[in-house]
Amino acid sequence: MDESPSPVPVITEVALIMKLRQESMRRLISIILLAVMMLIFSLTNSAFFTVSNLLKVLREASLSGIIAVGVTFVIITAGIDLSTGAIVGFCGMVCANLLYYYNLPWQEIFLISIAVGTACGILNGFIVTKLRVPEFIATLSTQYLYRSMVFVFAIRENNVITNKKIESYPVLILGGSINGFYLVSMAFILFAVIGQILLKSTRFGTYVYATGANRKSAELSGINVDWVRWRVFIITGFLCGIAALFQMGRIGSVTTDMGTGLEFDVIAAVVVGGCAFSGGRGDVFGSVIGAIFMAVLQNGILKYNFPTAVQLIMKGVVIVIMVIFDSIYNQYVQKKIQQAVQNEDAVQIRKGGAEVV
Amino acid sequence: MKMLCRSGRGVRKLSEYLLEMKGIMKSFNDNPVLKNVDFDVKPGEVHALMGENGAGKSTLIKILTGIYPKDGGEIFFDGQSVEINNKNDASKLGISCIYQELSLIPTLTVTQNIMLGKEKRIGGFLNKGKMRKEVVELINRYGFHLNPDANVESLTIGQRQTVEILKALSEQSRLIIMDEPTASLSSKESDALFEIIGNLRNNGVSVIYISHRLEEVYRLADRLTVLRDGVREAVLEKDEIVPAEVVRLMIGKELKHSSQSNEFRVSDQPVSLEVKNLTRKGVFHDISFQAHRGEILGFAGLVGAGRTEIVRCIYGADPYDSGQIFFEGKEIKPSIPANIERGFGLVPEDRRGQGFTPLLSIERNVALTNYDTLARNGVVNAGAERRLGNEMVEKLSIRPFDSQIPVGNLSGGNQQKAVVAKWLSRDMKVMIIDEPTAGIDIGAKDEIYRILEDFASRGTTVLLVSSDIQEIMKVSHRILVVTKGAIFKEFSNGRITEEDLMMAEFGIDEEEAEKNG
Repeated sequence: MDESPSPVPVITEVALIMKLRQESMRRLISIILLAVMMLIFSLTNSAFFTVSNLLKVLREASLSGIIAVGVTFVIITAGIDLSTGAIVGFCGMVCANLLYYYNLPWQEIFLISIAVGTACGILNGFIVTKLRVPEFIATLSTQYLYRSMVFVFAIRENNVITNKKIESYPVLILGGSINGFYLVSMAFILFAVIGQILLKSTRFGTYVYATGANRKSAELSGINVDWVRWRVFIITGFLCGIAALFQMGRIGSVTTDMGTGLEFDVIAAVVVGGCAFSGGRGDVFGSVIGAIFMAVLQNGILKYNFPTAVQLIMKGVVIVIMVIFDSIYNQYVQKKIQQAVQNEDAVQIRKGGAEVV
Repeated sequence: MKMLCRSGRGVRKLSEYLLEMKGIMKSFNDNPVLKNVDFDVKPGEVHALMGENGAGKSTLIKILTGIYPKDGGEIFFDGQSVEINNKNDASKLGISCIYQELSLIPTLTVTQNIMLGKEKRIGGFLNKGKMRKEVVELINRYGFHLNPDANVESLTIGQRQTVEILKALSEQSRLIIMDEPTASLSSKESDALFEIIGNLRNNGVSVIYISHRLEEVYRLADRLTVLRDGVREAVLEKDEIVPAEVVRLMIGKELKHSSQSNEFRVSDQPVSLEVKNLTRKGVFHDISFQAHRGEILGFAGLVGAGRTEIVRCIYGADPYDSGQIFFEGKEIKPSIPANIERGFGLVPEDRRGQGFTPLLSIERNVALTNYDTLARNGVVNAGAERRLGNEMVEKLSIRPFDSQIPVGNLSGGNQQKAVVAKWLSRDMKVMIIDEPTAGIDIGAKDEIYRILEDFASRGTTVLLVSSDIQEIMKVSHRILVVTKGAIFKEFSNGRITEEDLMMAEFGIDEEEAEKNG
């Protein structure tokens, strides 16, 4: 630029952070943390770092990971979905019921599972945006509703709920693998890629961020905020329907508690992956890292034969640490920016990296 | 040619003005705020709008941007008569307003923010390259310095303002209203903003510039309109803008010697609170003063001068970088619980947000600061709580006379009395009270003044922050004038006039001005 005051650009810490963008920095750090954790497990346990174990870890991450793709959208709009586990149970039980009593062809079963999940998402979004019920309360209530539906559709013999084995081969195939690479993991990767593109490269994705970060401003920019919030629930419901199919294939039957507690694994993955509950921050890629992170942790600590209580404590502690880390990191960045303003010597800040222009 | 072919009232000869507001009238509850105001802006000029608080500036702007409907008058834009009924009407015409609280999405980039709601797409996908190119073109056309790919949250306040301005320009704005744009900017950032405003002017964009800072107006404005009490007092051309003259116009000449202050003097009571070189970087610096027992010490100054920030630091609500605070001869490190123990109290500026808990009853609100006496072992003495509540309601005549009513349901004046009541029963040593009468009716104001006098007569040091010139002159025993984060002047003996105080608030030293001619 013609009137550039300092010919030698000084790269300060702040400039560096700003170059990398806060988001990429955060992503880099979570990948490093994941790598460090994997390194520790590999060094202390020979059974951890083998191809078959790593593929198993990926499989464990995949079920909650698929749903986490959708919940990422919900949390970026500053919402929450507590009903995902119940939706999975609902979809699974409807399919098991139809297979047992009507022996429907697999194509119809696939469609029905996805349709039921999507319908649940539509209802969630309707309650949130049209009936103006806060996300937390709305999805807490629908969680009970969907779980009750599981009992409505449960298969009974002599009025006693019984588990029946699923006989449909195409459904069971979904639980399998190709050379040890599980189909559910492929689906996970596929939906993660689609989700990331949707979030980062479409108008809808931009609106998801805008809605979560500053709803008022988004409205003033002509965005139909309610429709955005509705659609993120529909996406999540759809993915729950998909996840239910894979879970059925893996277990080979559907119990009434299928998916119970799954919603918390999903939320944990999303939060560990860097989405802020206050909205506007995070992405699908982060949630993928988060899901894998939780699966690695689970798999690693299992190998030490810790008591269940210790395993649960470790999971909880890791989630808290990651969230604290996030808030400290964000504060740190904000402080750096403010310091730069106060010192007023940061010409490169004011010029805002004009070199790219 | 097309224009001329059209028949009827729409045809006017091309006006030299971009915007003309004629005979604008506006009243709130039969209380006229704008009385037949004319206001006009030429294309490509920076037009400053000045006036005291309550002169009608913000009402005029809100009518122009469609937030308030006008009661009478006409608005012409580009020589055409227009109706502006909402924000959309205003932005369609090309009028936009840069507010102090910015409306950007912090986690999106500069480009995404500017293009929000008008994204370019190929198929279903964003055309990021094209959007970026448009933004870069916009940045270059107006000579800004901004990285189109930076996240807004990584920008300084000044840069965010630039993004807001760009967003307005991308919507083909021809008139940009800036309301106190430099209030939260550093001096360097302000300079950058002035450069931007210069570029806008060169590109034919008009700016309405509202600011209390005379030197900015002096530097930037092509013309200046002064409003006083809802009337256009004067329109000055660039060479007529003289700071002292502008202040006189804002006060009104006939008031010059009519309204006088208390007889100021330094109290002979012992010093209760002493502050030495208190500094908070970027907010205020080198604040030193002594406050005596039984003294009402006024902090006068313009909004944003740093008065609230100073008293909040003394109370312990905000940190400071250097300096010392002494209370009754001993240095203290302010923390809110320790200060309350010492007998400090704060009635904050943001009454609704910080002063009381709206859903709780009057007696509960009053009790909140008194649980050290009301709940000795952690168990609340409900009878004592009730008695205290009733006592306060009676003493301060909080209406309606019922201590069970949630404070949120009271009128502004009675809410303020309830906030004061939180401290009244205690043995107060230092009472800090910030804009105590903002939005309160006259009767309640007098009662609040009486309460302040009452505090002082019992030996409490009262630190009063107020933007109401008449109020601070009437209530204070002594006044410190704060400008731009420093104590500019102290009025501690004799009587002063409104003009004296106002000049000081604007940072004009009259004695010096007279010496220099």
